[in-house]
Amino acid sequence: MTPVIEAVPEEIYDIELEHSLLEANAKIARANRTLLDEHGITAVDVMGAIGSGKTTLITRLVERLKNWIGVAVFNGDATVANDTELIASQGVPVVQIATVNGCHLDANLVDKALKKIDLKGIDLILIENIGNLICPAEFPLGSRSRMVVVSVTEGPWMVKKHPHMFLGSDVVVINKTDLADAMGVDVEQLVRDVHTLKPSIHVVRASCKTGEGLDEIAALLAPQKASRDA
Amino acid sequence: MHELSIAATVVEDVLGFVESRGVGRIVCVRLAIGELTCVQPEQLKFCYESVTRETPLADSELEIEAVPARVTCPHCGYKGPPKYWMDSLADTPVPTLQCPGCGKSADADQGHECAIKTIRYAA
Repeated sequence: MTPVIEAVPEEIYDIELEHSLLEANAKIARANRTLLDEHGITAVDVMGAIGSGKTTLITRLVERLKNWIGVAVFNGDATVANDTELIASQGVPVVQIATVNGCHLDANLVDKALKKIDLKGIDLILIENIGNLICPAEFPLGSRSRMVVVSVTEGPWMVKKHPHMFLGSDVVVINKTDLADAMGVDVEQLVRDVHTLKPSIHVVRASCKTGEGLDEIAALLAPQKASRDA
Repeated sequence: MHELSIAATVVEDVLGFVESRGVGRIVCVRLAIGELTCVQPEQLKFCYESVTRETPLADSELEIEAVPARVTCPHCGYKGPPKYWMDSLADTPVPTLQCPGCGKSADADQGHECAIKTIRYAA
């Protein structure tokens, strides 16, 4: 007798979906990038732990760059606006992106921020992400490069503890080098740790207090500055 | 806690599937999570349980398939598993983007996955 297979109610089926869970964000990130490219704008995603010195570094960079190129800042912060006011006192366009306790910026929030400023005349947008060394890694914003700020006051293990954040970054700033001796942190070991993960990362040793490395970062983020300078 | 937003996206997608196909019951959702993501499987499972409560997915299982990292080196042409950082402070060796062949920077071509692979359902 020929075997017969009959579907029964409650029979189990498998369906293949291959549906990316991060695609919704990635799609908006690509649209952001297209918009930025059309306007000739370079956007940099600035990431780092709470207290690593992101806001101070951005303020120093704005001071250095604002007379040469058009700079704007998107300041991601869970709730408060005091960082935004600090940067706005530099007289450049600033948008605060309040994530209301969200732990990372996403491309949709950046899309909304891009609609809040006049993109004409802007060359560089520094996007300060939420102070967090884990979550932002999975959520590209549409920036051209990603910069991670670590400071020696966070101790000697930041790179070893948060490798994923560095794998996706192009520039790493090792900040507060003026405090390295007091903290007993070996800056060169941090540099080696970063390069163990990804040799092509451009590492800058910096201090917002002494000014070490700030011109180097400014030149890296806005290479067109040199030609306008000349 | 990006695991929570990922779990919420899973539920949204699967509920959309249930509605569009008139599916009876979801048995299991299988995800592919790459080694280079920082998605924590245990946290994701916990979040999934929490967000599926009182939904048609309440008794479904979440399976997570780990996708190993693979790299390609634009400098020496190496293709294969990444070099691992053995003395990092993570529980397991950390995959790096340092080419195992020549030591320069390699590109990851596998390991960033974060996707629903299959849905198992009862008609």
